[in-house]
Amino acid sequence: MSKKKRFGISDALTRGLSETINVVENNLGVYRNIVLPLSRIELDPNNPRKLAIDLSDIREGIRPDDPSYQVKQQELERLKELAHTIKSNGIINPIVVYKLGEYYRVVAGERRCLASILAGKQEIEARTFNEKPKAFELKLIQWVENTAREDLTLDERLDNMKEIMNEYHKRHGEVEMTATLLKNITGLSLSQMTYYLAAINAPYDVREQIQKGTIRNLDKAALLAGVTSDEARQQAIEACIAGSSLKDLRGIINQQKIRKKTKSSLNPSTRGRSPSSINMGSTVKAEVVKTIISCVVSKKEYKHYMDLFAQINWMDLRQTTKAFRTLVELLETEMAV
Amino acid sequence: MEIIAFVNNKGGVGKTTCSKLMAEHLSKTQKMRTLCIDFDPQCNFSHQYLQMEIDPSAPEGLIPPIHPDYDPTDSEDADWDGRSSIAEIFYGHGVVPYPTYVENLDIAPGHAEKLLTAESVRRSEVVEKVHKQLANFLNSPDVRAAYDAVVIDTAPSKGPLTISVIKAATHIIIPSVMEEQPVQGIYGMLQLWMQESLARDKSRPLNLIGILPNMFKQTRLHRDILKSLQENSAISKYILPVKFSQRIVFAEVDAADSTPRSIFDFPELHVAKSEAMEVCSLISERIFA
Repeated sequence: MSKKKRFGISDALTRGLSETINVVENNLGVYRNIVLPLSRIELDPNNPRKLAIDLSDIREGIRPDDPSYQVKQQELERLKELAHTIKSNGIINPIVVYKLGEYYRVVAGERRCLASILAGKQEIEARTFNEKPKAFELKLIQWVENTAREDLTLDERLDNMKEIMNEYHKRHGEVEMTATLLKNITGLSLSQMTYYLAAINAPYDVREQIQKGTIRNLDKAALLAGVTSDEARQQAIEACIAGSSLKDLRGIINQQKIRKKTKSSLNPSTRGRSPSSINMGSTVKAEVVKTIISCVVSKKEYKHYMDLFAQINWMDLRQTTKAFRTLVELLETEMAV
Repeated sequence: MEIIAFVNNKGGVGKTTCSKLMAEHLSKTQKMRTLCIDFDPQCNFSHQYLQMEIDPSAPEGLIPPIHPDYDPTDSEDADWDGRSSIAEIFYGHGVVPYPTYVENLDIAPGHAEKLLTAESVRRSEVVEKVHKQLANFLNSPDVRAAYDAVVIDTAPSKGPLTISVIKAATHIIIPSVMEEQPVQGIYGMLQLWMQESLARDKSRPLNLIGILPNMFKQTRLHRDILKSLQENSAISKYILPVKFSQRIVFAEVDAADSTPRSIFDFPELHVAKSEAMEVCSLISERIFA
């Protein structure tokens, strides 16, 4: 006899239904989607994006005696490209605004606004906040919108993140800023936030290169920031500027550590190549890994990682291996910071 | 005045039956002045209360009968052909609701051809007008003063007519048979609910009363699908804790010569009546409490 048939709705449909409900419940009363006349739009002077061109340049043309004529002209050319796609396809994502007197101030979507005017549009789709967002939320929205973009430099992104931290301190007092706290504020991943913190607190030489734009990658910046010896760091920075990949950089830094250790070691291993990393061994008992992880996260300073391992199925060797690797990576970053 | 709409873009899930029961519950047991609106070009809801006629010029569709108050000799009615449907709102004419055999219950019937025309508009500026028209009509002071509740039956579509209803409604209910395809219809309606909710001012929310399991049979299919909806934490709070069973009596009362004509006139202990009372009381409590 075959098993009795069970009926149900497909996973895709269940997901669709619950996601739709969640969208409404989470966003109701926060903002509204409307179509706005572009004539009622104004840009936010405090937006962390440093776009030289502004509304009057678009509406009336750039004045030839404008000191930033060159830069603005270049920006205009890029906006024209965007305007071209807007002409044929419209904007894909609505801009974000809040009402300020007669006008709507742009929280996110300056380029889309300017390009829409160039494209000859009269209106633009916008998400309107019912109230002026608090300084903190405002920064957060602008930041989240901006991080997704490629044309923002690492320096600008770090600046934005510092602004967010400052605003947070203004509202909640001087609390210690940890990666976990930042993760809760921004909703981004814990590892990303660890890298941000490391890069923000980087030694002067690393910061300098970030400002110059020679270090543009967050992961690399965080890695370099973790090198404590000035000399070693300088070497690693040079390698980075020369174009080393993240993996190469890790190798270089590890080599330096080994060299330092072997110099002071009284009883160096004499046979074979000196190892560049530690082999953590292997086991068929997942229980061993589980014990190690639970010991580590039971320590006060690592307690906030506990959630990361809550969902692991310890019967599954693959998941367990992955969990262990995660633990090692987390500890490496923690110790680097 | 509360505006209640039954919506699902899948046909045959019982939107008309639910609309009828709700309208009769409000007018008969709650004594509310109730207006029924038939926004479905098939005009089934209108046919419950009026003797709809075939239009010789549009053979597939129904048109409303001559209005009982129409007087061709009266000079006031000179510009009127004596018929009035809810579709007049799209043509700049006044809507004259028809009284029904139920006290406190009026109906603005459908008009197949005119509603189909409104449903088929595609030019964006016209579509936008269609979308707003029902809300404009129901927000007019005359209508608001005349009725306590409006019950709207909708077309099985996601087109301009249904959107127009979603924009006008204060409350929506999604009746659905517990089968795969009607449940997909729920998804379509939730999408409309989402779009509208995010576009509305928070002082005027569009309340989703819930998903009403309809034509329910104690079969494995219906039970399992209902269970799988109830087991999802996000969806379950919108599954109404009551349901309409599959009962032939709900269809039997639709016949013009049936006695009694309303489920609410059945004996107190009749199983269909107590079920209708249970469902409609719960919905009306959630709307008017």
